[in-house]
Amino acid sequence: MYRSSPADRMFDLVNYAIMVFAFVVMVFPFLHLFNYSLSNPSFVSGKFLFYPRQFTLDSYKAIFENPDVLNGIYISTARTLIGTLFMAIVTSMAAYVITRDDLTGIKFFRKYFVFTMYFSGGIIPMYILIKSLGMVGSFWVYVIPSAVSVFNMILIKTYIEGIPKELEESALIDGANDAYLFMKIIVPICIPVMAAVSLFAGIGQWNSFIDTQFYNAMNPELFPLQYVLYNSFQSITSVEQFTASVGDPEKYRMLTPQSLKIAMTVITVLPIMIVYPFLQKYFIKGLLLGSVKG
Amino acid sequence: MLRMKLYKQRYLFLMLAPAFLLVLLFQYVPLVGWLLAFQRYQVGLGFWASEWVGFEQFKRFFLQSNDYVYLLRNTLSINVMMIVTNLSLGLIFAILLNEIRHKFFVKVIQTVSFFPFFISWVIIYSIANTFLSSSSGLLNELLMRWGIISDGLNILGENKYAWLLVVMLEAWKSVGYISIIFIAAISAIPTDQYEAADIDGATRFQKLKFITIPNLMPTFIVILILNSGWILNSNFELFFMFTNPTNWEKMEVLDMYIYKFGLQQLNYSYAAAVGIVKTIVSIVILLSVNAFSKKTTGKAIF
Repeated sequence: MYRSSPADRMFDLVNYAIMVFAFVVMVFPFLHLFNYSLSNPSFVSGKFLFYPRQFTLDSYKAIFENPDVLNGIYISTARTLIGTLFMAIVTSMAAYVITRDDLTGIKFFRKYFVFTMYFSGGIIPMYILIKSLGMVGSFWVYVIPSAVSVFNMILIKTYIEGIPKELEESALIDGANDAYLFMKIIVPICIPVMAAVSLFAGIGQWNSFIDTQFYNAMNPELFPLQYVLYNSFQSITSVEQFTASVGDPEKYRMLTPQSLKIAMTVITVLPIMIVYPFLQKYFIKGLLLGSVKG
Repeated sequence: MLRMKLYKQRYLFLMLAPAFLLVLLFQYVPLVGWLLAFQRYQVGLGFWASEWVGFEQFKRFFLQSNDYVYLLRNTLSINVMMIVTNLSLGLIFAILLNEIRHKFFVKVIQTVSFFPFFISWVIIYSIANTFLSSSSGLLNELLMRWGIISDGLNILGENKYAWLLVVMLEAWKSVGYISIIFIAAISAIPTDQYEAADIDGATRFQKLKFITIPNLMPTFIVILILNSGWILNSNFELFFMFTNPTNWEKMEVLDMYIYKFGLQQLNYSYAAAVGIVKTIVSIVILLSVNAFSKKTTGKAIF
């Protein structure tokens, strides 16, 4: 049809080459780390790892015996589940309320939330506030300040505004109260948008480590997995030190600090990698909704 | 009457209350913290009893030290380079991807290029370390084995690589994400424009040049302006991971400086003052990008 001129074919060829290059740049780093984590570290130096060399699971055995890593998995999971749940409940209730034009003071409430998207106090005032609330050194600092996301609130609000008003009105005429209406009519319809914002929030929680650095750096029992990994870059200098609590130091003789860090990196990124393909369409939907609203 | 109405709306107020209070506490109260910048805050005395000193902290930053020179240089240069790189690569990537007819291939490329957007800077640091570290990074091992260099390049720790490093990493993380917005904008271009061009016998490159790119300009401007407003606030974790004692002269940005003085040296007032400077810089960037785009393309947000 349209495919005729040599310039066209040349363009296609170059274009495919660029895309294959992009594919390699995006995928190979993960593949390399994954294979590194499954290899005997003595055989990997200076090689592009398209497959594991001298396959072994020792790096994983060592990290899953380490109590800091296990506790990190526990904290990360807890903050992801609880933090996402808090955000979903608090933010969706408020999102519904600010769609109600009949609410007394609605214009003020809308401005009240949107204003915060443009101004923030910054690191220092936030730190002093958290400290004076007694939240330094507690788990709650991970999940309470992030329970309201104005950005997500606007996404949900936009979605609710797309629902035909008659649905709400008929329920109100039937005598349902606002809470019932929200629970029984709005929430079920909002499942797609709720899934999208919850996923964003969940991934944000799983990836967080800077709040640990700010507020909980002195509390190892509250380190999420990301922070355990971050710490390992600073602190793991020998395998013995990492596996000290396990007993038998001979067992992991062939491992290196680098192979331990890489195996930890893999287990830290793996949960995201597993959920990502299934949920990508929600991400794209949420992202586009967000960028349209600006 | 009002009381009746408020009572009838009690469930709505109850549902709004948690978000309202949390925003009050965690968004509005910290704004009061800006006042710290005009104090000599002492932890023992607290906010109310600390001494008010006017603009002393600002004078210290601009007059008594030269730190602002390298901080503004780094902050502005790195952020401008990041915006330019991300947006141009994102635009080019989207246009090229759109030219590929093979739908499954497009989907695969989109999926893998969007993924790095969802991983943390700790993971990216670990990847960078695996490939680029001066002692055991793959790149240096290969270059040394091939005899191109005799000592490992210290890409993660040397000043001269600092800007290139973070701009590249940020592009790797974000280009897929930005291209998705452009791809959506491309699919929103009315097809009759292309059909008319086909009838006129336009080539593929002419269609790109005269239809696709001009139609993407409004999206480009919006993303450009939004990004220039956000970017000073969004990459703390990147700089936290990659700033180190050997490359800080080129890598340290206002955010890291605030962190260093505030949370490490507990000089809250000075750090809060620098925080205000940062906010002003970011508003200036936003408004100048907006004005520039209004002048050159006639399009703007504000």
